[in-house]
Amino acid sequence: MKNKLPLVLLSFIPMVLASCGEVIKYEEHLDDYVYEMTYRDGFNILQLTDIHWNNNSSTMASKIYLEKVIDEAARHAGKIDLVELTGDLFMLANSYHIDTFLDFIEKKASQYDFRYATIWGNHDHHCLYNPNLLSKRFAEAPHSIHIDPNDDLYGRSNFVINLKSGGQTKWQIANLDSGASFSETALSPFRDYDYIRKDQTAWWLKEHEKVGDTVPGIAYYHIPQDENRKAWEDVSEGATYKNRFFKLEGFGDNGGEEYASDFLDVASQHNLKAAFMGHAHNVDWTVDYPFDNGHKVTIGLGVKTGGELYYAHIKKDSEDPDMQKGMDSVNIHEDFDLIGASLVSLKNEGGDFDLEHLYLNERANEDFIRWVTY
Amino acid sequence: MKNFLAKDSFLISTMDQKQKGQSLFLSLALIVFFLLSAFTFFNAFYGFVDAIGSIVSGSPDVAIKDLIRSLPLILTALMGIWTLLLLQASFRNDPERRLRSIKKDAIVILAFAGINILYVLIGRFAGLYLSLVEGSPSAIYPLDSVLYSLLYVALGVFTLLYLAKWQEKHPYLVPSRTPIVKKARFVYCFGVGIWFLIALYSCAAFLFGLFIIDFAHSYAFYSVCLLLVFLTASLSLAIWEFYYNELKEEKKKEVLLPLAICGLAWSVLVDVLYFVSLGLNLDGPSNIGFGLLPVAFAASVNIATMLVVFTPAIVSLVALIKGILIRRK
Repeated sequence: MKNKLPLVLLSFIPMVLASCGEVIKYEEHLDDYVYEMTYRDGFNILQLTDIHWNNNSSTMASKIYLEKVIDEAARHAGKIDLVELTGDLFMLANSYHIDTFLDFIEKKASQYDFRYATIWGNHDHHCLYNPNLLSKRFAEAPHSIHIDPNDDLYGRSNFVINLKSGGQTKWQIANLDSGASFSETALSPFRDYDYIRKDQTAWWLKEHEKVGDTVPGIAYYHIPQDENRKAWEDVSEGATYKNRFFKLEGFGDNGGEEYASDFLDVASQHNLKAAFMGHAHNVDWTVDYPFDNGHKVTIGLGVKTGGELYYAHIKKDSEDPDMQKGMDSVNIHEDFDLIGASLVSLKNEGGDFDLEHLYLNERANEDFIRWVTY
Repeated sequence: MKNFLAKDSFLISTMDQKQKGQSLFLSLALIVFFLLSAFTFFNAFYGFVDAIGSIVSGSPDVAIKDLIRSLPLILTALMGIWTLLLLQASFRNDPERRLRSIKKDAIVILAFAGINILYVLIGRFAGLYLSLVEGSPSAIYPLDSVLYSLLYVALGVFTLLYLAKWQEKHPYLVPSRTPIVKKARFVYCFGVGIWFLIALYSCAAFLFGLFIIDFAHSYAFYSVCLLLVFLTASLSLAIWEFYYNELKEEKKKEVLLPLAICGLAWSVLVDVLYFVSLGLNLDGPSNIGFGLLPVAFAASVNIATMLVVFTPAIVSLVALIKGILIRRK
């Protein structure tokens, strides 16, 4: 056996090389990243974020909650066309959680005839399954939209959904993988949260150019970029940007200036109307942020979905000024938990949309359900 | 090198056939329960890390709720670890103390298993579990923890009713290990305990890693290095348990220094490789390896990773110092 050891070790090399496969150049395969859906005025997008199924989760209890959220959204909106799952669907989970979630969401998708798109957050690969298995399962599910080519583009869930009518794209929904985290050097004791890289911005621009620069767009990704922090600082210093909802923790640190993403700045000049994300569970703060280039983009975090890991308990008697400010902005002055979902309704081809946040808490007698318009 | 592996270097060379059989049985039992414990410990650790995440994020209520639900995961991990303690007790010198330890450990295992079975059944009736097969982390949780506990009930009963009595009549004849010096017992037990837990964790991480680590794209080098880190951490304990501790006393003194030098050189090489690969893939851990490094990820720091990375080097360094001191004497 001793003599055979080098042979055994050598046999790993082709296995590793074989698993690498052919890496495509994204610029040569732009069509591979596109999914098409039919547009209609009133096209509804339900955002569920940070569900965080993990080893501790009662998936049975969580499914009951998710079912209530989807049923309530369908009742409220009349029809859900697309569900955006904006990351951290899983954390410290295993393949059982993937299968169980897909079974559940497929049943709901069949019931309400919607499609669901997934992008990964900083915790979705923080589990006991191969990241490729995760992408494969979601790519193969019948109602799922998930595109993850073996490419040279940063991240694993970059794709666009073109909403078409009469052969023309009327809206473009972009899904970007904002990564997880990275060390600034190999010996850094801390990690920074990842950011949308320059090649992803360049890719988005090309996809957007293909449908026409005047087509309005919305971007969904997981980790907030620097603009959220800048907007909050501006508002805290007295800027009168339209803003609403709760901001009860930081957005997540992307590291130094050199790691700031150019995505929103560039996309704002190309008719991006809004960007929605997740990540910070105690935040659903949304703001109309004016860029220096004169364009305005609505930037907001979705409402955390479900009671896993952590979420904010809103207390009407709280002395936290940010909590009071949030309560005033949504005009709810009672105790509740900051969990639920977010709903975007595309009003017309001109780039107008409505945004509503749903707060849904399960209660013994009657569930707490509130819709708040942005 | 041949000298270090010579048959007459090992305690087994002094044993008769019966003793050899006992020794082999003990080694096999240690391996089987080490593997079982590695997976149950890893599973419990996952739940624990998630609960810690809830606490540091300001939701201790969620952490408490989660820990109450996941108590069976912790109890199953403890059952495995206590079985390893029971097996280790077989190496005690004093036959009476050895028997007492084995009985005590068997009772603790029975208690953990019994508590778990009752906890799940009461939990089901009280509504803590919506079903006995509520799901997460497996499709039949918490029923699987009850079935697993039943195995340990059988093990505990067998130990108390049969093994302990059998030992009274047929004392375990394998030469015992050197007793721990009393004044250094706490430091020794603490150090070995931490090393044991890291090795346990690393063993499961290595085995899981073979299936879950992504070798695609440019991550192959980092992936291999991460696996090497886990392999080294778990192998360091295996070498100590199944090689060093099986040597005759005089051979131990002879072997310690060269073994420590080899161990240190290998550990440093693996550490250097790991950091070089990390330098080439600064986002590597978060994209392919964090399922195996939960603490590092939850806290957004690299320190926990470094704990695993440096453990074999620290162990080798301690052995090196001990080896030098022995030579000086």
